[in-house]
Amino acid sequence: MTCADETARDRALLERVSVLSNDRVAEGVGLIVLQSPRVARSVRPGQFVHLRVAEGRDFVLRRPFSVHAAHGDRLEILYQVLGVGTRALSLSGRGDEMDVIGPLGHGWEIPDTLSHALLVCGGLGAAPMGMLATELAARGVAVSVAQGAPTAPRLVARDLFADAARRHEIATDDGSAGHHGFVTALVEPLLAGDSPDVVYVCGPEVMQRIVAAQASAAGVPCQVSLERLMGCGIGACLSCVVSTVHGQKRACVDGPVFNANEVLWESAEIPPKH
Amino acid sequence: MNQTVNMKVRLGSLELRNPVLTASGTFAAGREYSDFIDLSTLGAVVTKGVSLHPWAGNASPRIAETASGMLNSIGLQNPGVEAFCAGDLLWLATQDVPVIVNVSGHSVEEYVAVARRLESEPTVSALEVNISCPNVDEGGMAFGTSCPAAAEVTRAVRAVTSKPLIVKLSPNVTDITEIARAVEAEGADAVSLINTLLGMAIDTRTFRPKLARAVGGLSGPAIKPVAVRMVWQVASAVQIPVVGMGGIMTADDAVEFMLAGATAVAVGTANFVDPTTTSSVAQGLEAFCRERSIQSVAELTGAVRL
Ligand SMILES: Cc1cc2nc3c(=O)[nH]c(=O)nc-3n(C[C@H](O)[C@H](O)[C@H](O)COP(=O)(O)OP(=O)(O)OC[C@H]3O[C@@H](n4cnc5c(N)ncnc54)[C@H](O)[C@@H]3O)c2cc1C
Ligand SMILES: Cc1cc2nc3c(=O)[nH]c(=O)nc-3n(C[C@H](O)[C@H](O)[C@H](O)COP(=O)(O)O)c2cc1C
Ligand code: FES
Repeated sequence: MTCADETARDRALLERVSVLSNDRVAEGVGLIVLQSPRVARSVRPGQFVHLRVAEGRDFVLRRPFSVHAAHGDRLEILYQVLGVGTRALSLSGRGDEMDVIGPLGHGWEIPDTLSHALLVCGGLGAAPMGMLATELAARGVAVSVAQGAPTAPRLVARDLFADAARRHEIATDDGSAGHHGFVTALVEPLLAGDSPDVVYVCGPEVMQRIVAAQASAAGVPCQVSLERLMGCGIGACLSCVVSTVHGQKRACVDGPVFNANEVLWESAEIPPKH
Repeated sequence: MNQTVNMKVRLGSLELRNPVLTASGTFAAGREYSDFIDLSTLGAVVTKGVSLHPWAGNASPRIAETASGMLNSIGLQNPGVEAFCAGDLLWLATQDVPVIVNVSGHSVEEYVAVARRLESEPTVSALEVNISCPNVDEGGMAFGTSCPAAAEVTRAVRAVTSKPLIVKLSPNVTDITEIARAVEAEGADAVSLINTLLGMAIDTRTFRPKLARAVGGLSGPAIKPVAVRMVWQVASAVQIPVVGMGGIMTADDAVEFMLAGATAVAVGTANFVDPTTTSSVAQGLEAFCRERSIQSVAELTGAVRL
């Protein structure tokens, strides 16, 4: 995977969209469905949108969210309620309008020769895995999912993964579902048992780093989706840099998906505590 | 009602088709924003700060949202003037918009070297010398907070450039008019203000500063009243034109800066919220004048009634 070439850059769209539905789908997590014909039709797995969550006189920066799924004109976003922005999002309802910039960023690379993929996600790291799992399954790729969450009520997208994956293993920190412990404990057996061609990872950065090391030890290429605080979301402000072996890259245009072996984890951002 | 408004303004010898510029560091070189707006609708594109050698910038996190604004500590990350000329500047040459290059340095020699390198570039319409960045350890704001240092940088750059020279001032001073007078005396053609206000925010759950560098520059609507006040003070103290900025989100905000004495204005942080802001501010400014039968936008400059 090479980083997005400026000349091959996709045009970002600014689209006024309306909310079709907005429901609580897990503890502290909502699923908002937007009528967003232009973005929904061009988005690829792993890309994100920059949402204007509040309008009017109040100044609030946009918030970045992965596209969880896209069907026709509809864009689905899975979000965890954390602060002002996501609280505002949780209060919007059917018929409300907002504006979206997207599709943004460099998403998951799907090699043509892929026959077996392992998806590892923790918490809301499941969000950018939705479209990926669906697309891989549609291409006939065998998908295994290792999913972690703090507790069973906070597991998301279980139905989607159950449909798309041949194998779906769960770990919870408190043991209320699946393996009692971290999702990283599920990875080594899956690497050994399934011999995947690629590992895709999203979740807290510490977890991504561990899985990247596990994949590397097994000799399997690994892609990670990194989060950074974002200002513009389109590559202009340099808020979102990631240190890589190729120098500093912008998570919003060169990422959020990077080859794990490109990332210099030593200098990686300390992930915010949710 | 179809009366046309003369939107042209001048910064020294530089004539601009309208008074709306981009604020350095919030617009890169404009390429990303050209997905959303027609750059030829702007008075000029002001680039991200350019230094002699590549600068890596500061550690992450580099931004934090605050009430009605944000803190940043990007730290003037840029690839250096040579890479800038071979990349962004070549692209800008294909665009129908004047280009003002924001010049940064750790030392007087570095500012001079960058200005000298840009002298032979016809695409560069003017220089904006940044003596006000709060996000670098050496240079940057240090030059903008002392009259002798501000004068020295201006004199040295003036000696090597024939292009219009704008000096960007820091609000982190006791009396901004002294600095403005000092750079005017050394041959600056215009001053731009304000750069960001030094600020800090702390996460009360982790007890850590929200920025890795602890402190950073505050921008956005929160700083607008401070910026308008400083523009008013500086415009009253110097003869050269003033470029006003700080929290502009709407055409009405831009009018406020012009009434306070600004000849042109720049839009910064608002670009992050709505990437079409620059263009809509320019349109709105024209509509404002048309609705009031103001024939030339320049009539707004300093028109505050006291
Ligand atoms: C490319 C990308 C894709 C993302 N996809 C999703 C997604 O699909 N679903 C989802 O729920 N979240 C996603 N996020 C994270 C999401 O953007 C933040 O959770 C959100 O901006 C928080 O906004 P807030 O106003 O509610 O919180 P704030 O009040 O701004 O902050 C509350 C807490 O959230 C943390 N936070 C704020 N912004 C971010 C951020 N960008 N990344 C990580 N932590 C942050 C803060 O440090 C703080 O601890 C994504 C982030 C990126 C960069
Ligand atoms: C992310 C960011 C980066 C900036 N980088 C620069 C810079 O490189 N050079 C400079 O002179 N000013 C820089 N500034 C300051 C702005 O140009 C402007 O002076 C300031 O943000 C106030 O305007 P605003 O409130 O409209 O943003 C930067 C501001 C921000 C928010
Ligand atoms: S968020 Fe502005 S460059 Fe990435």
